[in-house]
Amino acid sequence: MGVKNQKIKVINHIDELFNQIDISSNRNISFHHHLRNGDYVINYVLDKYKKEKVQGINLFPSAIFPNYSSILDLIKNGQINNITTNYINGPVAEFITHNGLPGKLKMQTHGGRARAIIEGKSEIDIAFIAVPYVNHFGDAVGFLGPNKCGSLGYAIPDSIHAKIKVLVTDNLINIEIPNPEISGENIDYILLVDQIGDTQGIVSGTTEITKNPIGVKIAKNTSILLNELGLIKEGFSFQSGAGGVSLRVTKDVKDIMIKKNIKASFFSGGITKYHVEMLEEGLVEKLYDVQCFDLEAIESLKRNKMHLPISASRYANPENKDQVIKDLDIVILGATEIDYNFNVNVTTDSHQTLIGGSGGHSDTASESKVCIIVSPLIKGRIPVIKDRVTTITTLGKNIDCLVTERGIAINPLRKDLIKKLKNTKLKIYPIQELASIAYGFTNIPKDIVKRDKIIGEVEDRTYEIIDYIYQV
Amino acid sequence: MSRSYLFIPGNTPSMIQNLDVFDSDVIIIDFEDSVTSYDKDSARTLIKNFLSKYSYDEVEIFVRINSYDSRYFHDDINALANLDISGYVLPKASVKGIRMLNKLSNKPIIPIVESPMALLLVEDIAKEKNVVALIFGAEDYTKELGIKRTLEATEILYARSIIAITANAYNIDAIDTPYTNKDDDKGLLLDATNALNLGFTSKASIHPNQIDIINQVFAPSLEEITEAKRIVKKSEETNKGAFSLDGKMIDLPIIEKAKKVLEKAKKYNL
Repeated sequence: MGVKNQKIKVINHIDELFNQIDISSNRNISFHHHLRNGDYVINYVLDKYKKEKVQGINLFPSAIFPNYSSILDLIKNGQINNITTNYINGPVAEFITHNGLPGKLKMQTHGGRARAIIEGKSEIDIAFIAVPYVNHFGDAVGFLGPNKCGSLGYAIPDSIHAKIKVLVTDNLINIEIPNPEISGENIDYILLVDQIGDTQGIVSGTTEITKNPIGVKIAKNTSILLNELGLIKEGFSFQSGAGGVSLRVTKDVKDIMIKKNIKASFFSGGITKYHVEMLEEGLVEKLYDVQCFDLEAIESLKRNKMHLPISASRYANPENKDQVIKDLDIVILGATEIDYNFNVNVTTDSHQTLIGGSGGHSDTASESKVCIIVSPLIKGRIPVIKDRVTTITTLGKNIDCLVTERGIAINPLRKDLIKKLKNTKLKIYPIQELASIAYGFTNIPKDIVKRDKIIGEVEDRTYEIIDYIYQV
Repeated sequence: MSRSYLFIPGNTPSMIQNLDVFDSDVIIIDFEDSVTSYDKDSARTLIKNFLSKYSYDEVEIFVRINSYDSRYFHDDINALANLDISGYVLPKASVKGIRMLNKLSNKPIIPIVESPMALLLVEDIAKEKNVVALIFGAEDYTKELGIKRTLEATEILYARSIIAITANAYNIDAIDTPYTNKDDDKGLLLDATNALNLGFTSKASIHPNQIDIINQVFAPSLEEITEAKRIVKKSEETNKGAFSLDGKMIDLPIIEKAKKVLEKAKKYNL
């Protein structure tokens, strides 16, 4: 642990850093993903590991995006042994799906990752933390600077608990930073680079409200469900992702709030311009922001005092007494597949290819009072409901409702919700019956899942291994 | 007595598969304008196979066939023979076209009034056998007149009025023209309300996201339902053709109208 307000050693080139640190004995390395596809730091650092031919690397990125090409190079060179992450997509995901790793792929949740780092279960030698705005004392925020990326939530545990903490920046300033997200007292080095990334690349997937009629219908069913369950009430709390349907639900909930003159207490998780709009319109008291999904959300962190960046631990670590999501009333989540036991898969597709991961899926499903999965009943030509999901990302006991365009299934464990909906006009079916409606169009697809060679595991926030990932 | 009529292109499996999820009272599967000439046969095949396998209780299905003077007309009718559809939507409304269709089928017909000539002859069209409603087709109508559509819609006020009056006179549904700006909910609400106030009973649409607003406009409000219940109750209690309620005279047409409101409310579970 360093000292507050003490100047941190500034390094001008990565070679200089590894003149001071032995690269081959520091092979457990971590990164955050806040710059997403705009990130230049991961490739920059890993190119050095590639050049130095370091073997047995254990990688701990909070997520892996398609442009993280150096990871693929290192895997192909046989230099990476294990990867522990929360989300994986793109060429690295495809390669691991078909080839595995010498060690294993561990898929954690956002809260689980924070917990494992804090509790020492994930031992990180060096955390390389891209920061767009940092001063000589090592204090940093993510929402300022030319290449800003918003909240630095996922990097906070690394910035405190890694053995060596390196801030990587292109914007070292000389002024004090009030309320920094990253506190300089924990930082060992500041590594200067030409550019940490491109802000334009941070926008996450679909961050626009869907206009697709099926998505609109699902959102409508969801908002009616929430209303009939009496969940949209003064002081309620809410989380939705950045997917088009989730955002449409947020819009429909907003309409109900305006009509009923209701103010929410907080929204949490990934924040978009739509959440910011509601904050600025006085419809919600606070935004707890663990990652910004668009540029408007980043700008809001600058101007809105009640838009609060939080760490991944504060957000979702089950052992953190101030965990935000323990007070979460409603979470709206997606699904690649859901099964008769309400287990949800967002890790692999139906061909077992890695396409994502929990992120905060299992965290929020576990803690929220009501967790709603929104999904088309049929995706392309494949029903979303199966008798057993390809990979369990979130346990069915934590999922309460599935809302589709053709009807809603309530988890039989939630007798209270079923009772409340006794007189509803909504179409409520047992999940098997909802599946039968889909099969009426598609028939039952042949199960092609291979379960021969394990290449990875899904670790829940409780550290329980809830499923395995198999080589295709 | 339907509120909403949604056009769905006949050559789009993803839309056809979901025709019952959009909450439209009536679906009009389209073989005409939204299906290009080289896709007409595949649309017929798709719909024939689909409707042979699936049937629907909660939504009525009409098919807009190609006009009687097109080379597709007979093939369209043949493809739909023996399918469980509610009827046909016939473009370019004319007495001749309706009579030709009546020779081939005995199903209900909804002609689209979309030319100045059809407007002049709208009463003759409404009187024809099996005609159950009239749709106003403002896009083709204004195109033939060589005039532009405006937001205020004053250029179609006369046509709308004539069609609504005629349909009401012959006790058939009056279906307003679609509102083509699919992303303008406020404009749609205003346009649909204007149509309602002219006597239209329902509105056509070309986008599923418009159906909620249309259903809301053309459904009786809670106040109307409550008032209708009081009128019908008092009429049953007094057993008179005319009586006073809250100082207002209520006579047979008002009682009949109230009954229609309650019928509509029941049908739409309001």
